[in-house]
Amino acid sequence: MVTIAVLLKQVPDTTARITVSDGRVDETAISTWVTSPYDEYALEVAIQHKEASGASITAITLGPPRADKVLKDAAALGVENLVRVWDDAWESLDSNQVQAALSTILEGVEADWIYCGKQSADRNQGSTGPGVAERLGMACIVEISDWDVTGAQPSFTRATSSGNERLAPTPPIVLTFTKTETELRRPNVRGIMAAKKANIEVVSADIGDAQVQVVAHNPPAQKPEGRKFEGAESVPEVVGLLRDEAKVI
Amino acid sequence: MDITIIAETQDGGLHPVTAQLVGAASSLGASLTVICPGGAGGEEACGISGVGKVLAVTGDCFATFDGGAWAEALDAVAGGDLVIGAAPTSGRDICSRIAARRGVSIIQDVINLSPGLNITHPIYSGKANQDLTVTGNCVLTLRANTFPPAPSGGTAQLSTVQQSGDVRLAVAEAFARASERLDVTDADIIISGGRGMGHPDNFRHLYEVADVIGAAVGASRAAVDTWEEIPHSLQVGQTGKTVNPSLYIAVGISGAIQHLAGMRTSKYIVAINKDPEAPIFKVADYGIVCTWEEAIPVLKEELSKLT
Amino acid sequence: MTYEGVDFYDIESELTDEEKMVRDMARDWVEAEVVPNIEQACRDGVFPDEWRVALGEMGVLGMALDGYGCAGMSYVAYGLVCQELERGDSGVRSFASVQGSLAMYPIHDFGSEEQKQKYLPKMASGEWVGCFGLTEPDYGSNPGDMITKAVDEGDDYVLNGAKMWITNGTIADVAIVWAKLDGVIRGFIVEKDDPGFSAPEMTGKHSLRASVTSELVFQDCKIPKDRILPHVEGLKGPFSCLNNARYGICWGAVGAAQSCFHSAKEYALSRIQFGNPIAAFQLVQNKLAWMLREITKGQLLALSLGRKKDAGTWTPEQISLAKMNNVDMALEIARMARDIHGANGILDEYPIMRHMANLESVKTYEGTHDIHNLILGRHITGIQSFTREL
Ligand SMILES: Cc1cc2nc3c(=O)[nH]c(=O)nc-3n(C[C@H](O)[C@H](O)[C@H](O)COP(=O)(O)OP(=O)(O)OC[C@H]3O[C@@H](n4cnc5c(N)ncnc54)[C@H](O)[C@@H]3O)c2cc1C
Ligand SMILES: Cc1cc2nc3c(=O)[nH]c(=O)nc-3n(C[C@H](O)[C@H](O)[C@H](O)COP(=O)(O)OP(=O)(O)OC[C@H]3O[C@@H](n4cnc5c(N)ncnc54)[C@H](O)[C@@H]3O)c2cc1C
Repeated sequence: MVTIAVLLKQVPDTTARITVSDGRVDETAISTWVTSPYDEYALEVAIQHKEASGASITAITLGPPRADKVLKDAAALGVENLVRVWDDAWESLDSNQVQAALSTILEGVEADWIYCGKQSADRNQGSTGPGVAERLGMACIVEISDWDVTGAQPSFTRATSSGNERLAPTPPIVLTFTKTETELRRPNVRGIMAAKKANIEVVSADIGDAQVQVVAHNPPAQKPEGRKFEGAESVPEVVGLLRDEAKVI
Repeated sequence: MDITIIAETQDGGLHPVTAQLVGAASSLGASLTVICPGGAGGEEACGISGVGKVLAVTGDCFATFDGGAWAEALDAVAGGDLVIGAAPTSGRDICSRIAARRGVSIIQDVINLSPGLNITHPIYSGKANQDLTVTGNCVLTLRANTFPPAPSGGTAQLSTVQQSGDVRLAVAEAFARASERLDVTDADIIISGGRGMGHPDNFRHLYEVADVIGAAVGASRAAVDTWEEIPHSLQVGQTGKTVNPSLYIAVGISGAIQHLAGMRTSKYIVAINKDPEAPIFKVADYGIVCTWEEAIPVLKEELSKLT
Repeated sequence: MTYEGVDFYDIESELTDEEKMVRDMARDWVEAEVVPNIEQACRDGVFPDEWRVALGEMGVLGMALDGYGCAGMSYVAYGLVCQELERGDSGVRSFASVQGSLAMYPIHDFGSEEQKQKYLPKMASGEWVGCFGLTEPDYGSNPGDMITKAVDEGDDYVLNGAKMWITNGTIADVAIVWAKLDGVIRGFIVEKDDPGFSAPEMTGKHSLRASVTSELVFQDCKIPKDRILPHVEGLKGPFSCLNNARYGICWGAVGAAQSCFHSAKEYALSRIQFGNPIAAFQLVQNKLAWMLREITKGQLLALSLGRKKDAGTWTPEQISLAKMNNVDMALEIARMARDIHGANGILDEYPIMRHMANLESVKTYEGTHDIHNLILGRHITGIQSFTREL
């Protein structure tokens, strides 16, 4: 039987205001926590894969008790097994520790297909998918934008600088997803009732010592006052500012 | 300290970001080795000032992109206490794996770097920055166009090493990307036109700019209501879409409150409008008082130069 | 800005995880499907069929009932769904109320086992639409004097008469019809193809335009004997249905009020007059503060009633008070929000005028505002004042 794992992370709602106080982002000021948007696409495809193959899915999250919500939400969509990795002694984990924790759990799950988002919406790093793949000795396709999981041989499409490539990989493999036009399924009342009964397994893991220390969080630099320029001859200067000052192009 | 830089390559040569990686690494006062995956751009890399050594790594695995295989090959030849790559997709993939192979941490999308290893990178999509220090070795990827490039004038030695990795991904099919138009709500850069565009055909100019920088095209309601060629799906504003891109360029849009309601949280706003009194200038970070007919061709040309 | 409901008293902390999940499910659906399409539906005067399908897929139709394809969720969860649906439009909530509380509920509580098995699963999934025929052209607040009647003709019952103002009538597959059999009010299940039955749509409404309202006409309408609801007689039948639907309305009205409040707040902050956002003026702040106050009270009332429903300790008078209060405050908030929006308030760009017009119906149906006053008056004084000798 095919086994699928999905890695889900709980993050502040992407429209939430982020405030910094005493050198740290004030997480207590965040009222809405959601499943990281890219992970939702991974979950959607994983469920499509499950429906076509009869696989079972294990959803795994690393986070404090409030992160149970992302697992319950996944359960409402039909995910069977729910695991939360956590230890109350953990604070801000570095990439190495996160990957160690997730890899330990994944080794136990023995998943053939590991689905996750291309990056989390809070740390924006994109290290977890390939990093976990490396630790588990698996291949990894990153930033998948299209897929066909209906047949015996699933295939996944990624963008390259010149076009698209479709790959038909052999499991075990890690797959990371970007946002696409796909409509995400909604839960229904029956699923939510099932989620209510679903059991979340809470486990710890040996993650070693932190190598990275957080010194401070800071609000982004204040934007300078708006400036007005005259005439088309100012366009090159504005483009330069967009590049060097605003850093948006 | 030894630093290994993984060159970013494109079309068989070096991507300009590589010189920026060198520029950033030079400030750490260490000996620099640049390794070129697949051997591309080796000669060019030797010409970057500050580079001590260039290794062109050639091997079968570099024929297609398999982050695992590339990381295996590169890690085998890369020494270095610190490995630095660029932050685009492939760089992030390879560097994550090299870090995992070494059991060290990776910090992606770094925007500030100083000796002692003080590192800054954005979190929450740029709504905050995080300052870090690292004990021991680590792997970093740096954001493009953030660090000044090292000048040319280097005279490093080029050596070629044969090294491959275990390839586990095969491309079943390569094909052209359908040129789908990005939806405004998905785009990181938006260029919107208003009634000041004069005629719906003139939106062509906006699309041309959009193509250069991978932007989506949006519109004001006046444009959508006046011209049926401009679909409602482009409308930004209170009764259209709410957008939150890094860059919003408003062209021939006056800046009515209902329009602002949909785009005022954009990180940076550029306005191009011929009327210096137009309210859009009140929210613009960079306002250009000018007709679009004059401004857009220059904008397109300047943006093309960047990429 | 993504829509966030008003939650001044941290109602959130009093909800279970499932209740929050169901609420969010409905909220997301309304945001994605109803809000962008409601104005067109109102202009066209239709209830979009996709919404029927979606409500069935979400499983909210009859969600507080047990078994037969129903989820058996709490009444609080059902109330939260009503709140979100009505935040979109009262017509959407009406569809769900009629289906769940007025058509499925009587089958569930008063029907035979065969009837439950035949109808409930298909109605829960939305495949079959139900309606509830009580009101007649000449008998509204006073349904006890209804004239529609059923006659026992051996193998069949034969119905004659007419019902009016029947939500979902024209699109219904199944009608729960209250008629007198030998002078006693009984419930009958009429199917859309039964001979002698028709359900022409009523047109020309200025209110609840995205909801189908119909007449039900019975001309020697013959139905098999097994279509009578065996387990209820008298006004208790329709009234127990109404109690359930009224409960849903008291939450729904909070949703409509929140929609108006949200729009008024955003508008007041962005509309500049006399050099200031109008939200900076005390008179406007007073209006916003009043809205917040009334919504908060209405929410607490609804939640408290919901917990009583779930515990089985509610009284009909408590439901009357909540329905009456919450619809009244919502209507007043809609009017106030319209005022804050100035001329813009009359446009269909904003939800205000639509909610206001809808709430006029909601004030009248399921027991008019004053009928609920009379129910409370009787409760307080022990004297009924519905009828009097002239
Ligand atoms: C309830 C309501 C909801 C609304 N919702 C929205 C909404 O969602 N989105 C929205 O956009 N609007 C909305 N509006 C409409 C809004 O009020 C404005 O009418 C609209 O935004 C104006 O569009 P515009 O800026 O393109 O046109 P105008 O206001 O006519 O401005 C055109 C601008 O183009 C400039 N111009 C002209 N020629 C040139 C040239 N050659 N080169 C450069 N500049 C030039 C002019 O100086 C002028 O500033 C709404 C209005 C209401 C009442
Ligand atoms: C959009 C819509 C959908 C509806 N859907 C349905 C449905 O699905 N099924 C159904 O059966 N019905 C439905 N109705 C009918 C609704 O229940 C009735 O309109 C309601 O019961 C009031 O009856 P009426 O309109 O005949 O008003 P009336 O009873 O004639 O009342 C008129 C006025 O007189 C007042 N009044 C009446 N009696 C007294 C009294 N004793 N003392 C003081 N004041 C009194 C009322 O409060 C009201 O102000 C719907 C109505 C509407 C508008």
